[in-house]
Amino acid sequence: MDPIWSNIFRKTPEKDSLAYFLSQLPLFSELTPKEITLLENLVHVRSYRNHETVFEEGDPGSGMYMIRTGSVCIFSRNPQGAEEELARLGPGDFFGETTLTAPAQRSASARTLEATELVGLFRSDLMEAAQDNPKVASHLLFGLTRVMSERLQAASLELRRLQNLVGEQSSSETVET
Amino acid sequence: MTDIISSRRGWTRGQVLLAFLVLTAAIACGLAIFSSATTLTSLSRTAFSALFMPLLLALVLSFLLQPLVYYVEKLAIGRTVSIFIVYLVVGGGGLVALLWLSPNWESLWTNLGADLPRYAAKFTGYMQEIIGALHDRFPQIESYELASKIQQWTQRVLSATLAHTPGSALKVGGLMILVPLFTFFFLRDGRKILRAAVAMSPNRQFEMIHDLSYLISRQLAQFIRGRILEAFIVGLVIGLGLSLTDIRYAPVLGLFAGVTNLIPYIGPIIGMVPGILIAFVDFGMGGQFWWTVILYVLIAQVLIDNFILIPILISRVSNLHPLLVFFAIIVGGKLYGVVGMIIGVPIVSIIQMTILEVRTYRRTFRLPESALESDRSP
Repeated sequence: MDPIWSNIFRKTPEKDSLAYFLSQLPLFSELTPKEITLLENLVHVRSYRNHETVFEEGDPGSGMYMIRTGSVCIFSRNPQGAEEELARLGPGDFFGETTLTAPAQRSASARTLEATELVGLFRSDLMEAAQDNPKVASHLLFGLTRVMSERLQAASLELRRLQNLVGEQSSSETVET
Repeated sequence: MTDIISSRRGWTRGQVLLAFLVLTAAIACGLAIFSSATTLTSLSRTAFSALFMPLLLALVLSFLLQPLVYYVEKLAIGRTVSIFIVYLVVGGGGLVALLWLSPNWESLWTNLGADLPRYAAKFTGYMQEIIGALHDRFPQIESYELASKIQQWTQRVLSATLAHTPGSALKVGGLMILVPLFTFFFLRDGRKILRAAVAMSPNRQFEMIHDLSYLISRQLAQFIRGRILEAFIVGLVIGLGLSLTDIRYAPVLGLFAGVTNLIPYIGPIIGMVPGILIAFVDFGMGGQFWWTVILYVLIAQVLIDNFILIPILISRVSNLHPLLVFFAIIVGGKLYGVVGMIIGVPIVSIIQMTILEVRTYRRTFRLPESALESDRSP
């Protein structure tokens, strides 16, 4: 084929498209291709430089971010002002989802570790979708609830494990005394 | 000697000359920038003044039609087709309503043109009678020629209105084409335009601006829909109520009362003046006159507007201070004439609403923080 024509008809490769990225996320794994297209118009793609702040602890939070490329560090500040790293996230991970449905302050800060592309999904977009397209919105919320409850379960298991650990320690201490 | 002076002052003649030149150049540059800036602003003003009205009307219309378009779109039709369907339905409905309301619309209009001078003449006649009565009681104000002044004034207003009619007809024709066109694009791409505008904000502020833009546009849509619906119902009530009397211009007067009802405080008063005046001139102080007064003041304003419509439609938006309303009307009238008077108040309310929304947003997120601090302090 003529190189000019092949250039005109060239599409973005399937793997580079936003729709492909979204469909690969566990959050949106149950959406149909048509719903993914609608979601594509709902999210915001933002590029960040190296070491750029995404949000600070205490900021008004209104949505979640998914990492398309690059990496993000989640940290909080202790009372002395020193930073404590909580997590390091890479492509495909998401963060800030707790503020998606209810307005709340950010409970930790997020900063990029390299040039990063984030895909944001915000409460106002979700509310608009709930009005215009309730079916898609309910699918989105189902996915979100599933992932959140998985995380909550993991956290409560971890909590129980720690409780047991503390209980064992304290019982061994009483035995010693 | 000159050396001593220059050394004492620390300036040589060359330096003084240089300073003089620099200052002159600076002043000239300042003047040039100032004048070019004013010509630029005036140029842009003339360029955008033609766009201002159609854009504003299109924005209002798109806010009004948006729910309809979304409703049609939900029936699984494309956005563009839904807009055309809504246009057809609304345009057809409006035409039918117009024909049904007044089959002899054209003759009504020509009658009004003939009757207006008659009403003005009758009114001045009444004024002259009143002034005559006043003269009998207070002879000292005899020298003041109020009657002739009123006559001159009414004649001047009438002739100005007539002279402006062709020009405004041309403008209205332009609006008839531009407004539906702009509305179409606002309805189709409004969200995309807003998203593109919000996307230009820096990363750090993006989240807040995005959230605020959503809150404000939702609030704005509610406000505009509420106001227009309120004006429409008030106009309808007055039009229907007046059609019970022998007044010939019930639809026109209802329309006028509805449009002026968009201006808070002053609008309803302006809206009731022509109706009450015509009733007074045509019927005298009879039962029909008093029915007209009661209709305008008690039924339309107190009962319908204050007790039913405002609590239901516009409860969330706080009203403007009366002083601000006057400022808005005067500034709007100075900038854009009669149209400016009508749109001045809504624009100021929109600005106020934006400020209020930003404040509530900030307060929502500041409260827990201050609570945290008060927890920490003891």
